[in-house]
Amino acid sequence: MMILHLAFKNIIGNGWRSLVNVLILSIVLIAMVWMQAMYYSWIKVAEKQHVAWEYGSGMFRVSSYDPFDAFSWDSSFAPIPQAFKQQIEYGKVVPILMTPATIYPAGRMMPAVVKGIPNQQSLLSFPSGGFVSENPFAIPAMIGTSMAKNARLKVGDVFTVRIKDSSGAFNALDIEIVKILSIPVPSVDIGTLWVDLSSLQEIKALPDAASYLILADKSQNTMEAPGFRLIPKDEYFADLYQIRESERAQEYIMYSLLLFLAMIAVFDSQALAVFKRRREIGTLSALGLTKNKIALLFTTEGVLYMVFAAISTAVLGMPIFWYFTKFGYRLPSGYEDFGMPGFSEPIYFSYPITIIMGTLMFLLALTAIVSWLPTRKIASLKPTDALRGKVR
Amino acid sequence: MNKVIARTINMSKSFPTGEGEFLALKNINLEFVSGEFTGIVGPSGSGKTTLLNILGSLDTPTNGEAEVMGQSIRQLTQRQSGELRSQHIGFIFQTYNLLPVYSVFENVEFPLLLLKMPAEERRKAVLNALEWVGLMDKISSRPAQLSGGQCQRVAIARAMVKKPAIVLADEPTANLDTENSLHILQTMSNLNKELGTTFIFSTHDDKVIKYLLRVIKLIDGEVANDDPASGI
Repeated sequence: MMILHLAFKNIIGNGWRSLVNVLILSIVLIAMVWMQAMYYSWIKVAEKQHVAWEYGSGMFRVSSYDPFDAFSWDSSFAPIPQAFKQQIEYGKVVPILMTPATIYPAGRMMPAVVKGIPNQQSLLSFPSGGFVSENPFAIPAMIGTSMAKNARLKVGDVFTVRIKDSSGAFNALDIEIVKILSIPVPSVDIGTLWVDLSSLQEIKALPDAASYLILADKSQNTMEAPGFRLIPKDEYFADLYQIRESERAQEYIMYSLLLFLAMIAVFDSQALAVFKRRREIGTLSALGLTKNKIALLFTTEGVLYMVFAAISTAVLGMPIFWYFTKFGYRLPSGYEDFGMPGFSEPIYFSYPITIIMGTLMFLLALTAIVSWLPTRKIASLKPTDALRGKVR
Repeated sequence: MNKVIARTINMSKSFPTGEGEFLALKNINLEFVSGEFTGIVGPSGSGKTTLLNILGSLDTPTNGEAEVMGQSIRQLTQRQSGELRSQHIGFIFQTYNLLPVYSVFENVEFPLLLLKMPAEERRKAVLNALEWVGLMDKISSRPAQLSGGQCQRVAIARAMVKKPAIVLADEPTANLDTENSLHILQTMSNLNKELGTTFIFSTHDDKVIKYLLRVIKLIDGEVANDDPASGI
């Protein structure tokens, strides 16, 4: 307690030098919490968007589908299992049929995936009843903004699409873009045209077939779905988590740089303190404090910097943290073109206690070590030399 | 008969130098009893501070023996010598060595915190000590706000507050003017008489010598003279 009291007094007595240390540590703490919260919130936002636009509360995918084999996509369908039909009627399951296609916008040829979704559904974020066109000869389609940008399409554009039906015959038909949606999930947007399920089933000559079954409720995961395979959440989000992992390297480099700067500040002020306060070290020794306790005093001072920094972070960082919770963080325009999920909309931050406490504990431990390092000199300092202000 | 507080037996102390060793103390045989008001005098470099440092267990003899409160200084561990200092020895330094971030009260209180004295007892002891040195009006001041004489009186209060068996004062008046020096000496002399504390000074200040009851003269690390003095 006495050591803590003396350390506290010394820090306060150290004036602006303490303030600078505390501010540096506080900035590092704010930056680290902010960065971790951003990555955490980005993943949460991306997960939420995937759930809203593609995954629902669960997904059955046709067993023959291989995302890495485009040739398998032609045959990636199966009859909708009987048990699901009533659920589809009640809007508790949304069937989606997919097929590879070639589109010819303005005479250009582009590969695309056409996906059929029921016109009336509210499980996914697609506007219900959106497939409406005044053109009786064209199939109404919706696309995302990325697809529109890449294929240079706009609402009202009519172009040809070529689709192979279930018998292997190619059908060429006209498609009209009726809506361009802001879709935050790249896998739902990029290279994809969305049409009414029944139209696609008709084109493919596959009435009653689907490639995916999107569930409204987790409890539906246990339903029997012959020809389909349940895609667990971890498997579905594996790519997202992999992106997160690949981001970690640069995150750690940033942390290392920040920590290096902060710890240099602490180390420097501790080393300077041991040098400048050697007479005080001698006095404390003469008064009966052992060298270990004196070293503990200096280490405690270092740790207290971090404690003050934590308090200062709570005060200075709170408005910053609140701002990003309230107004979100939008990445500079163009990031969404990278095909990264969750980047096209503002990321609203959340700060789990584990992130805050984990960062704080880590910094406390690191500060304690860095504060202790210069105090090793005290062990080799003779009290008589210290009293004379000498350092060997 | 007065109790022996400290003694040295054939004690020598040498320091390594670039060319060999410097013998700071040679074969010192001294005995200090309780209630002494003793000065170690001699020119600069005669070994006064070295002798005080050893008696204060801040240093150890190279040869021979030094005992304080019956404990051999050479045998003490770091922890034991810390305990010896905190319990039985008070220090007064030429440069006061007050803790700059502490108030007068806290500086005087510090040795009692090391002894883990209860707060109320501590407060009484500190106020008593400050009364002895006449600094009750400076209780909340910081060392930077005090004059040299006042700082040295705080240092005396800090040394005396735990009522140690022995107070070691290294040139306590060297940085003070005549008036303050006399005031400090009078204060220490009174405490010596009232509390029976042993005071051992190192000094080459004639003003101090007048107050001493015993004068030990060191020349080139050897005891040249050890006589009872006139004292005041």
